[in-house]
Amino acid sequence: MNEDSDNADLRSREYPICEDMTYQLKVWRFERVGWYVLVLIVLMGLMGVFSRGLLSSKDVRSEDSKVRVEYEMFHRNGSTNSMKITLSSTPDSQAELELAGQLLEGFSIDTLQPEPLRSRSSSHGIRLWLQTDLDGQATLYITLRGDGLGLYRSEISSPGTNSVNLVQFLFP
Amino acid sequence: MDSVLRAGAMYLALMVLFKIAGRRSLAELTTFDFVLLMMIGEATQQALLGDDFSLTNSMIVIVTLIAIDVGLSLLKQRSGWVSRLIDGEPTIIVENGKLLHQRLRHARLVEADVMEAARSSQGIEKLEEIKFAIIERNGKISIIARED
Repeated sequence: MNEDSDNADLRSREYPICEDMTYQLKVWRFERVGWYVLVLIVLMGLMGVFSRGLLSSKDVRSEDSKVRVEYEMFHRNGSTNSMKITLSSTPDSQAELELAGQLLEGFSIDTLQPEPLRSRSSSHGIRLWLQTDLDGQATLYITLRGDGLGLYRSEISSPGTNSVNLVQFLFP
Repeated sequence: MDSVLRAGAMYLALMVLFKIAGRRSLAELTTFDFVLLMMIGEATQQALLGDDFSLTNSMIVIVTLIAIDVGLSLLKQRSGWVSRLIDGEPTIIVENGKLLHQRLRHARLVEADVMEAARSSQGIEKLEEIKFAIIERNGKISIIARED
């Protein structure tokens, strides 16, 4: 009985307007599915799929643990994110660091702190020389501004150590 | 080039979002809906203009938006299919004084919404006095009263 009245409710009427309830039901289904998609996007945003969050923040080390990079895997075009590179080397000396790969194609470096002692371009990217402290640690803070779109693979290395590979994705 | 693409992408994204939101969502503007609309506008503005606040850029964005809008209305005029896809169709929700409950449920409406529309447009007090209530394409509920 109840099912009958439900079916009668959803039957197309001809007067005062000509309806197509099959189409209307599709529209309502689209709205419902769309709502699930919106909730999913909100949850993904909370988890950091669109930058800054659990899934986006990465902390990677080279195999010998001498280079450590903390960075965001997901970026958005036009926004800035920080990257922290920690290098272990001989105490109170100059350590060399190379930023290579597509990093400089997809991002522009807004700030670089502390300022490196020297820097020069290399065939793969740029080389920086940092002053290590008495414990042999040197830390570099970089602010990256996303300029490109899509996937960027880059490599951060220091001579005599294993390199760290980064994969970053830039949203529009 | 990117200004045109930005405007086009934003137009499309907002159109899909407001389709998902359904007809009724912002048709009857409450104060809060108005504030919500302004917030959506603020969030959209940055993405539309990027970091280029020049007169040229804003004109390109505005021209693109209006061009898409006029283009779509021309397309709607020529094709019934496009018109139905973009604007949707009216739906009857009260027939001869009886609520069509299944339809109300799908349209996320309750009896109070229908009665509110009935009171404000026709001064109707009871559901039985309504011959037809129809959700129009723009989300407003139009009421046809019984004659007797």
